Amino acid sequence: MKVEIQDLSFSFEGKRVLKDISLSIGEEEFLGLMGPNGSGKTTLLRCMMNFLKPEQGAVLVDAKPIHTMSDKDLAQLFAVVPQTSQIEFSFTAYEMVMMGRIPHAKSRLSSETKADAKAVRDAMERTNTWQFSDRQYASLSGGERQRVIIARALAQQPTILLLDEPTVYLDITGQLEIMDLLRELNREGLTIIAVMHDINLASRYCGKIALLHDGRLESQGTPEEVFTPDNIIRIYDVDVIVRKDPLTNSVSVIPRITTIVSAMHGTRVHVLCGGGTGGAAIIGLRDAGYAPSAGVINVLDSDFELSEDLHIPVVTEVPFAQISDETHLQNLQRVMEAAAIVVTDFPVGPGNLKNLEAAVAALGKGKPVFIVNAETVEKRDFVGGKAKQLIDDLISRGAVKVNGKQDLMAKLAERLGR
Amino acid sequence: MNQENAERSDPFIRIKRRRTLYLLALLALLTCTIFICILIGEIGPIGAIPGGDHISIGDAVNILLGQSHQYSNIIWNIRVPRIFLAGFVGAGLAAAGMAMQAVFRNSMADPFIIGVSSGAAVGAAAVSLFGIGGMFMLFTQPILAFIGALVTVFVVYRLGTIKGHVYVDTLLLSGVAVAAFLGAITSFMIYVQQQQFHQLAHWLLGSLQSASWTEVEIIALPIVAGGIVIYLYGRELNVLLLGEEAAHNLGGNPEFLKKVMLAVAAIMTSVAVAFTGIIGFVGLMVPHMMRLIVGSDHRLLAPASVLGGAIFLIWADAISRSFVSLPVGVITALFGGPFFLFLLRSRRLRGEGR
Repeated sequence: MKVEIQDLSFSFEGKRVLKDISLSIGEEEFLGLMGPNGSGKTTLLRCMMNFLKPEQGAVLVDAKPIHTMSDKDLAQLFAVVPQTSQIEFSFTAYEMVMMGRIPHAKSRLSSETKADAKAVRDAMERTNTWQFSDRQYASLSGGERQRVIIARALAQQPTILLLDEPTVYLDITGQLEIMDLLRELNREGLTIIAVMHDINLASRYCGKIALLHDGRLESQGTPEEVFTPDNIIRIYDVDVIVRKDPLTNSVSVIPRITTIVSAMHGTRVHVLCGGGTGGAAIIGLRDAGYAPSAGVINVLDSDFELSEDLHIPVVTEVPFAQISDETHLQNLQRVMEAAAIVVTDFPVGPGNLKNLEAAVAALGKGKPVFIVNAETVEKRDFVGGKAKQLIDDLISRGAVKVNGKQDLMAKLAERLGR
Repeated sequence: MNQENAERSDPFIRIKRRRTLYLLALLALLTCTIFICILIGEIGPIGAIPGGDHISIGDAVNILLGQSHQYSNIIWNIRVPRIFLAGFVGAGLAAAGMAMQAVFRNSMADPFIIGVSSGAAVGAAAVSLFGIGGMFMLFTQPILAFIGALVTVFVVYRLGTIKGHVYVDTLLLSGVAVAAFLGAITSFMIYVQQQQFHQLAHWLLGSLQSASWTEVEIIALPIVAGGIVIYLYGRELNVLLLGEEAAHNLGGNPEFLKKVMLAVAAIMTSVAVAFTGIIGFVGLMVPHMMRLIVGSDHRLLAPASVLGGAIFLIWADAISRSFVSLPVGVITALFGGPFFLFLLRSRRLRGEGR
């Protein structure tokens, strides 16, 4: 079943809520409808379930407009999982799921058949809810309830599942449980269309994303194609970092840390770091109004990614390569331009020994040098004691030992008279 | 043996069995209720006034079996129609209450609380006051009561609904205000009608005193028909509770269903009010008790509420007859008021109903 939305527009109380939306959803697709609050995603979903009648355009299923179909046919085609399914009245989980069989009833007088009982049981076993058959729906946990509602939708035996923020009231366990279930159902052949809020969850589970903004379809495609920093900054108005999550191989969006910088003075401080040890110092310096730079870092090192994300100047070396003379010179140039130098507690190997040599050069030029966690150097020394020797030498010639971010910031401020 | 176990663990079979069992039990209870309450009255056999004339249980049974007796008339033309009227009115009010609770998705709704009974009372009182319909007053009264009830239910529904959402507090308060307003109109009409003041005041409190076979005949059809319609829409009433989207997806047209249900509830309430006045709280208490026993599936709850409502009001009337014919509305309100408060309080404690 192919779902086609053609030039769909919808108005509510005189306001255009959806504007000329065209979108096609292929067979067995897992589509996430995304967008900020008020962007029209729930309205679009409601048009797709024929709950709202579009003002213009239509929703077609296999080239047939849904508003020409009977309620009964529609209910066997689409099953709806609403956002909230709170209910004041006492139904057991089994009774709730059995309601999904109503579209299959022959007449008002007919009671449930064996086929209905089988469909209910299959749906409940599929969603791992059969064990709650006799429990009161209201007594179940949020995740369990949502599974019961999905079982009800499955009992309808639909080809398309429409969900309105299926994980919105759930804790992280419940969220993953529901999304995993939906993914499995999708792999078994069900088309899934879900309004989602959580970008990371959507990019992890949805094969396709439709991003709405002010009633328009702004972007559609794979999560990688849709969740670009540009799109997110434009549509959600938040500054984000987009990364590929190494664990799930999906796009992961992290809002940039926004701190109020008390006074931006722009004093330059160069951070000699690598291996993920520079983060605390770099962020601490930025937040205190300094203009940090970093080096020498191998490309794709996490310190490199952080520096890139924060748009600070960074001296880089190709991955896994030794610091070349040329790069070392660039680094020395940054060192000379800086008012102070910070040496973080990075592991020292033959590849990055030059970073310590840069610190020695800085001290030679009378620049203040701050060494983070100097006492742990032996553990990080992979050059047979050379690193320890250099650090000890630095300290004996007046480099300042610091422990932790706060200590660093305090001593730095004192020394630079800030 | 194994198959039997499998069947017992299958909720499908269990639910079907349970349904039959509950209905048979309620039917048996109703039969006993009717029989016992026929025996209650001033001339006995139960509750006879000491020193006065009274009949034995044997005589009463013989009368019921068709033997003629000097008290045949009392049994057949006074007690039996009164019990039937009580049964139909109780059934109708309970079914109407249940339907309203489903439409408003709230177990606090009831024809009396929502003000529908008061609307019907205005219509019915106007007929007595102005003599509308002359000799056909037995028919014009329920019709005008129906119009009054219908207008009230939709007005209150409108008042309690803001942008498609029913706000329970607003709804209940609107109902109370509308009921008070309409009650004042009814009181005014009754006050003006000095000659019939006593009789109408009795009616206003809810009484089955005027019961006769004619009334039973008139009321039977709308109550039975209304009950059947509600039962047939049982599945849709269930999904109505799930919210608009799911109801639309599973059951077609919830807006239409709501209107049908409110109209049916108004019909059932208005015939009851036209003949017996305002008997409050039956529509609140009976469906609630039944829900506790049989659950919320309306295809079971509807017949259970109908039977339970009949049983409840027949007993309430039997009690009222035993207390120098106190109006039955006084009895139901004596139980219903505290019950309503209890419901309100337990809901608040559970943090619902905002």
